[in-house]
Amino acid sequence: MNNLIFLKELEELSGENISSCYQCYRCTVGCPVVNQMDIYPHRIIRYIVLGEREKVLRAKSIWTCLQCITCSVRCPNDIDIAHVFDTVRKIAIKEQKAAEQDTWTFDKAFLDSVERHGRLHEIEAILRYKIEKKNFFEDAKMGMGMFLKGRMGILPHNVKDRKQLKEIFKKCGQ
Amino acid sequence: MTALTYYPGCSLKTSSKFYETSIKQIFSSYGIEIQELPDWSCCGASAAHTVDDRLAHALVARNLALAEIKDHHLFAPCSACYIRSKVTNERMRQDKEFRKDINNVISPLKCLGTGEVKNIIEVLHDHVGIELIARRLKYNLSALKVVPYYGCVLTRVMGMDAFDDKEDPTSMDSLLWALGVELISWPYKMECCGASKTLTNKDVTYTLSNKIMDRAIVLGADAIVTPCPLCQLNLDLLSYLGRTEKAIPILFLSEVFELALFGKLAGSNSHVITIDEVVKKVKEIDK
Repeated sequence: MNNLIFLKELEELSGENISSCYQCYRCTVGCPVVNQMDIYPHRIIRYIVLGEREKVLRAKSIWTCLQCITCSVRCPNDIDIAHVFDTVRKIAIKEQKAAEQDTWTFDKAFLDSVERHGRLHEIEAILRYKIEKKNFFEDAKMGMGMFLKGRMGILPHNVKDRKQLKEIFKKCGQ
Repeated sequence: MTALTYYPGCSLKTSSKFYETSIKQIFSSYGIEIQELPDWSCCGASAAHTVDDRLAHALVARNLALAEIKDHHLFAPCSACYIRSKVTNERMRQDKEFRKDINNVISPLKCLGTGEVKNIIEVLHDHVGIELIARRLKYNLSALKVVPYYGCVLTRVMGMDAFDDKEDPTSMDSLLWALGVELISWPYKMECCGASKTLTNKDVTYTLSNKIMDRAIVLGADAIVTPCPLCQLNLDLLSYLGRTEKAIPILFLSEVFELALFGKLAGSNSHVITIDEVVKKVKEIDK
């Protein structure tokens, strides 16, 4: 008998009816970044059903996903596959099994900036990400290009009620 | 017609400030009034739901609650802001337990999900309409060939109806048709541009955006038209991502309106890919 614990865990966390998948491959066929994936989306779903926890949590694919929701919208069984991937990401990070850190690092830098100002301070989020990655100069030319076109602000835009905003982050355990 | 509360989101105040300028210009020309949502905050975009689902919904609900005070429709021109707001709004309206939990997080604010969230295509259809658009044309755009590029998320929403077809939307096509441009039909209306991978995995954004650009050029388009600020930015930055071949400009939907109404673009200097060739094709209407 398969180990159904992982399937149950993910179905509960995501609220998605993952076991209804009948392997029609539609998610994989429509995915714009499938050529960059180590395990195809329909296989990830299958591995979840089969209880292959390690394989799924360590997959590169869940981080390759762009969250464009093409797969989810096309699923004949209404499984929000992108949301399942998103849920797997959280477990992978918690258990330090993520195949890639960049997406998470950037998303955290993005949210840190929102927590501080209420609105994204682009240059701050990007610099924080770059410092974390220690590749400060890689996209400097692109940043400069945006700056010269007036598309990169220097000063942050702050919301007035920053106290309430910080409270929201705190209540969500951030 | 219900009044509109304008939710700019972070992009329209920084990297796509000229999109805001453009929207304000055309809206004032049609007499549509918008009031900016007071003290709005970021919608969390693609970052918040990856890190924490509750936080993602709470960030959106904060803005929805502020808009509900005014009893206006929330107008969100950015595709990410629009879709995040739409999804949370629907759940706040339908799911009692969820509503209670999120309202607890955003207290003392309170969101009931009773408002409506609209994107720029919907607003132009509902508040102006194609008939009036066609009647008000000041410039002839018939020499301009464009491909409509909706971007990946605008109509892709789970568990509810979208405002347009989820695979082959046509609502922006009809607006462009009313403006008198030559529309080229293509299969890349909703292809993903690479979204937020531009910094974390540049090659992905390059590959996807480049494919879209190549196809538009092969089809003989003069410009790509999009309502999404991230799509516009990613495609406009292609030369920094590694593209060496020629590229055509990416116009915001509102900028095509600008061309039809005023014959020029206020934000021409903000475009990385020069728009000169496009403006040259705009002619005055013979009276």
